[in-house]
Amino acid sequence: MSDVSIDINKSSREIQEENHNKGEYTTFYDVKTKYKGILSWLLTTDHKRIGLMYLYSLMGFFLVGLTLAFLMRFEMLTPGPTIMDAQEYNSAFTLHGVIMVFLFIIPGIPAVFGNFIMPMQLGAEDVSFPRLNLMSYHLYLIGGFMALGSLIFGGTAIDTGWTFYVPYSLRTGADVILPLMAAFILGFSSILTGLNFVVTMHRMKVKGMGMFDMPLFSWGLYATAWIQVIATPVIGITIVLVVLERAFNFGIFDPALGGDPVLMQHLFWIYSHPAVYIMILPAFGVMSDVIATFSRRQIYGYKAMAISMMAIVFVGYMVWAHHMFTSGMSDFARAMFSFFTFLVGVPTGVKIFNWLATLWRGSIKITVPMFFSLASIFLFSIGGLTGLVLGALSTDVHLHDTYFVVAHFHYVILGGILTMFFAAFHYWFPKMFGRMYNQKVAMFGAIMYFIGVNVLYFPMFIMGYQGMPRRYYDYLPEFQIYHVISTVGSWILITAILTMIINLFYAIKNGRVEKGNYWEAMTMEWEDSPSPPPLLNFEKTPVFRHGPYDYPDFSDEKIEEAK
Amino acid sequence: MFNSISKYADQVDFAMMYIMVISVIMLLGVTAVMLYFVYKYSHKRNKKPIQTHGSAALETVWIVVPTIIVISMFYVGYADFDTNRDLLDDPDYVIGVMAKQFDWDFNYENGASLDTLYVPVNKTTRFDISSYDVLHSFYIPSFRIKEDAVPGRTTQYAISPLEIGVYDITCAEYCGVRHWNMYTKIKVLSQDEYDKWYAGLTKSLSEDTSEPVKEEVVEETETTEEEKVEAEENKEEVTH
Amino acid sequence: MSAVSETHDNHHHDHAGHGYGDNSKLYIHIFRDDLGSKVGMWLFLFTEVLLFGGLFFLYFGYRVADPQAFHDAALNLDVMLGAVNTIVLLTSSLTMVLAIVAIQRDSVKLSLFYLAVTIACALTFLVNKYFEWSAKIHHGIYPGSDHVAEMPQGEISFFGLYYLMTGLHTFHVIVGAIIIAVCMVFIVKKHINKDKYIILENSGLYWHLVDLIWIFLFPLFYLLH
Repeated sequence: MSDVSIDINKSSREIQEENHNKGEYTTFYDVKTKYKGILSWLLTTDHKRIGLMYLYSLMGFFLVGLTLAFLMRFEMLTPGPTIMDAQEYNSAFTLHGVIMVFLFIIPGIPAVFGNFIMPMQLGAEDVSFPRLNLMSYHLYLIGGFMALGSLIFGGTAIDTGWTFYVPYSLRTGADVILPLMAAFILGFSSILTGLNFVVTMHRMKVKGMGMFDMPLFSWGLYATAWIQVIATPVIGITIVLVVLERAFNFGIFDPALGGDPVLMQHLFWIYSHPAVYIMILPAFGVMSDVIATFSRRQIYGYKAMAISMMAIVFVGYMVWAHHMFTSGMSDFARAMFSFFTFLVGVPTGVKIFNWLATLWRGSIKITVPMFFSLASIFLFSIGGLTGLVLGALSTDVHLHDTYFVVAHFHYVILGGILTMFFAAFHYWFPKMFGRMYNQKVAMFGAIMYFIGVNVLYFPMFIMGYQGMPRRYYDYLPEFQIYHVISTVGSWILITAILTMIINLFYAIKNGRVEKGNYWEAMTMEWEDSPSPPPLLNFEKTPVFRHGPYDYPDFSDEKIEEAK
Repeated sequence: MFNSISKYADQVDFAMMYIMVISVIMLLGVTAVMLYFVYKYSHKRNKKPIQTHGSAALETVWIVVPTIIVISMFYVGYADFDTNRDLLDDPDYVIGVMAKQFDWDFNYENGASLDTLYVPVNKTTRFDISSYDVLHSFYIPSFRIKEDAVPGRTTQYAISPLEIGVYDITCAEYCGVRHWNMYTKIKVLSQDEYDKWYAGLTKSLSEDTSEPVKEEVVEETETTEEEKVEAEENKEEVTH
Repeated sequence: MSAVSETHDNHHHDHAGHGYGDNSKLYIHIFRDDLGSKVGMWLFLFTEVLLFGGLFFLYFGYRVADPQAFHDAALNLDVMLGAVNTIVLLTSSLTMVLAIVAIQRDSVKLSLFYLAVTIACALTFLVNKYFEWSAKIHHGIYPGSDHVAEMPQGEISFFGLYYLMTGLHTFHVIVGAIIIAVCMVFIVKKHINKDKYIILENSGLYWHLVDLIWIFLFPLFYLLH
């Protein structure tokens, strides 16, 4: 059935709906599997079910992290004790970091949307190693419960900061080993996912599709997967060493035994800096897909977009020590790492310019995912540009470990990544559930989210420059005004996030039914597969017909050609 | 607020301004172009998209130009840092800074160990920074300097203050439950004041090395310092 | 390898029960991609190399910081025991390859024999290691001991790294031996046969990596004085 005739008078959406109406199919939700009930989910090897399980688990951990953030911001409302003591505050920001970084934002987009959408974008029926995929999820779950366990059952919850620098992490009386082992297991889960995705993207593409025919979301995941494979083992060994050092005094990092604590920071950041790209590259991928779909345009400079992502992977490897400009490493190393840090800014800039050029001469519809993408360009630009100040040596020395860094980081993470997580959620929601959410409520939430991020984090830039260090339980009275604004911002942001989440989860069961290619996108997951998809994603083996963004062209030449 | 506290601090502020101004221009540019396109090519006004696949010339421009800009930024940041590094080789005074949970020890050449830092104005003072226990970071926001205190090794940073005054010192590397409470003061004295204070300190050390004497010395200088500042303020008022 | 590659490049694609409209049918999804499996295995080995890479990074960091201490500390190690273990592991890599060749030629018994020899080598390695470590511990050289605490700082780092790196490697030897034992069961149960031996090949790759890491550890700890 390879010759699919295309009736030019019909939109792809109409064609698809006709096709779906011809034959009945069973969605992957309803399909009969070997196990029943909850086991049909927990023991499934279907990438779509695994993606959804990730979604629900991630959301659960996200809400825990959000609660901790809310409490922390509330504590900062007034100087001195407000609702918790210093030890609790230290545990709160540590657990907020550990949960948000290792359990939410690193698995984030790849685990949920990568698992669900990527094989469909390639026209594949599943990932290369479905059982390994399930194992990744189980490891993720075990790691997650261990991290939460240390919050609930541990004596004193971990208070080292998510960076767990030695020697403090060797000396503190708090429970360090359990959360670190959790991070190790989560790292293992991440490696297996990355490995699986790399092989999938090389081996499972539909016949006729080359690497440069993949949608950019898949490209983003491909670049990410490489970092997961290359970088994560290093954090794995670092964690093992810190745990063993703490338990048996190996003398590897402990300065009292001749160890070098700065080497530990190197090992930590060799992973944790590329980890930032693990978080952001999939978000770039989502951005490209969403912007192309809603401006009905071929992505401007598609190859440059794909290559710049790989460039970020490799240059991103040479910048880790810009987290350590004040750590006491050699001046030469500081200068080198500063230089490479600036270079890694260039491919990121190129991507932003290409997205802008994609809007040019398009036909732009401001939907919820599109609003998120445009908001993200603005917020991520702030995050990226303030990164330049932090990349320059002299200014970074002043701003390192102040609220300026906190603001920069959160503009990147919330502005760049969480925004795109929600964009992806709103964009692929009809695909995943075959239903539509209330778009007005979603738009309201999105606008409030945009306001909340700015009110919450912008004052932190000012405080930071004035010398307010981070991870401070108490502060000088002159900083209070900024802290108050920031805390109010956190309330706006949390309300926005809860509004969006409730709206989406309500729609899973109660939304309007939408079976087709809701956004009229050109990528295979929308065009060739009904929503929600059948077990093996496609009703018949799909055929590669056109590039991911071949939207209709109304330029004069093309119209001439058609005549 | 914007008095010249030290030449280095001014340089850092300039670097900050330089990068920030370019960044703000870029941010506003990106946002303006984005909003314009969203308005001009909205689905309402433009139902028929036109495809272009990229332009090698344009893409080269927006690779090359940002590269040049960021390299200039790198240079500004590096040059400042480098000038400060030059101060390290030839300091007028060297003071040892030892951090511990949750306190600072400032060790002078005469063997005194105080918890408040005194430095003379218009001279270069180098800090040899280390730690007794865990990582700390020696941070003086007003002078825009910060360097980690790493147990088992010595790190360095230098300042040459131009303005007499009292400034905050704090810890910037998370070090435990009272990390937030490592505030102390750096007091920049005139050369005369400093010499007098230092001589008094040396004398009190040779007489008696017990703690109370040192505390006395600290308090004594504190009052003279305040008087000094007051006197200057009065002088200014008179001239006005 | 050339004899093998023919089957590798073929996707074995098989669906049983392809009736989508029929709700009552059970779907069994069989997909086989030997080359894909091998690429996956190589990527995994790559992560293993990086895992040890972190430790080698530390080793060089500390060695450069204090070469004299590393020299002195290395004199405490028994070169003989290390050399024996090197030969044992090299032999086991050879028998692993022979086992794969045997299964390709459909001689199941020979393959099982070679795998048994491989496991025997692994056990020899472990016994040897046990004697080496217990002698060290007997002399009071182990992490956190009073004896080690009195040593110069560079030597503490040396012995810390010695126990960590050889310990992590030994852990890999144990895992490898278990994997090979599982392969033997699979061969007996015909899950691994002359048409489908990718699991054995991947296990072999893993075993070669374990061998290779030892080839680096041996000179770094035992020979470089």
